[in-house]
Amino acid sequence: MEKVCVLGAGSTKYGKLEDSISDITIQASVDAIESAGIEPKEIQAGYISNVFGVADKQVHLGPVVMSNLGISECPSLSIESACGSGSVSFREAFANVAAGFYDAVLVTGTEKVTHTGTDWTTTYFSYCSDFFYEGQAGASFPGLFASMARAYLNEFNATEEDLASVAVKNHENGVLNPKAHLRKKITIDDVMNSAVVASPLKLYDCCPFSDGASSVILCNEKFAKEHSKDHVKVIGSGRGGSPASLQGREHLTTIPSTKIAAEAAYKMAGITSKDVDFAEVHDCFTVAEVVDTEDLGFFKKGTGATAAQNGETKLNGSISINPSGGLKSKGHPIGATGVGQIAEVFEQLTGQSGERTVNDAKIGLTQNFGATGASCAVHIFQSV
Amino acid sequence: MSAKPEFIDAAKAGNILARKCVKCGELHLATVYFCKKCGSKGFSNSIIKGAGKVVTYTIMTVPPAGFEDLAPYAWVVMELDDSGIRISGFLPNIQKPEDLPIGMAVKVIGFDNRGIVLEKL
Repeated sequence: MEKVCVLGAGSTKYGKLEDSISDITIQASVDAIESAGIEPKEIQAGYISNVFGVADKQVHLGPVVMSNLGISECPSLSIESACGSGSVSFREAFANVAAGFYDAVLVTGTEKVTHTGTDWTTTYFSYCSDFFYEGQAGASFPGLFASMARAYLNEFNATEEDLASVAVKNHENGVLNPKAHLRKKITIDDVMNSAVVASPLKLYDCCPFSDGASSVILCNEKFAKEHSKDHVKVIGSGRGGSPASLQGREHLTTIPSTKIAAEAAYKMAGITSKDVDFAEVHDCFTVAEVVDTEDLGFFKKGTGATAAQNGETKLNGSISINPSGGLKSKGHPIGATGVGQIAEVFEQLTGQSGERTVNDAKIGLTQNFGATGASCAVHIFQSV
Repeated sequence: MSAKPEFIDAAKAGNILARKCVKCGELHLATVYFCKKCGSKGFSNSIIKGAGKVVTYTIMTVPPAGFEDLAPYAWVVMELDDSGIRISGFLPNIQKPEDLPIGMAVKVIGFDNRGIVLEKL
């Protein structure tokens, strides 16, 4: 197996964007190419992750991107795996570079939905659930995670305020990220007093609907060394699955796919959760970050909410969680998110993360899932 | 042929159509094709009374399309008595958490464009 590296990364701002989905996808790709210091013609394949291109009248994005990069002959494909599309796309690219099929590939995630409005997004996102049992019966994604939150609050010694502390922390980090969607500090009271979306989750427990695109260049180690650019090594990659519906799960306070993916990634990397300096995790809702940090092994089951409340997950706390601001503050353009997490890790490990830098970080982890964690991918990166 | 029409007919009668693996006895909802425990494909149908208890739920105040006039309502995960199978569904007219404590007895009363419909016992 070839050793695989991330050679460059780029992102648009996340938020409400004016440009079309094609334009933002191309912009992020160009940024990644320039960050990597390569020529487009050195790219041998493109992996585009996207869920709702149909909302902006463009699916089959790959050839549009490649044509605008001047490499229309370059093969590409689109990957949809709900909110986990980006990391799954990265994984497929990783596997192909590791197998020796390609020396260098482009991985770009993208989404453009804010122009459709909250009704459209709430409705269409619910199609990512096990629709027969969930979306069809009136459950939105806030509703599904609210059901997990209620189970968590019922099972463990945790409060809604503990969950709210996750949002407060991620907004603190997002203020330091020039590309974040929601760049403002908030308080526990702001969260507690925000409108209930699906009890017990309130508006400020939820990530925003965002537009945005992120891109990375992935290559083998030989290619990386020849280009003598800053790069980071991909040392672990794992994927996993869970029952598609919440009703199919024995426990509602853990996400099986995260545990499976993390175990595989830690094994490949030859490390444990204790060796991780910081992580970008899938905090689509405050409760999700709490569950993630437990499933990834950073905290014992049932203690993640208190750990967040105690400040352990703050920037340069005992383990920095979501230094980018996470989905909650940085934003959640669903097809882009998984790639955006990796772009953040690249910036952190190559000294390009400015005020939000995790001190002395050598190993970063990303965890990104689809729907209620029905699919998940975990990746681990190490500085050179 | 999908078992969904049969599953829906059972739900309309207040029941859940389950499938029992003929090899290992594991129970599943009738919408599966292979046993999750032993991988076998042979099942016998089993009609289970749609009564059980609330495992968790949410009260939806920002609903998806088609549910605008129904909010607030609950979306509930319930565990069926005896079998331990879990199903989820729509439960109308729930305003606040006090209306639906975890563990409360609920039952299936139908199936329509709101999926499986539940009510408090």
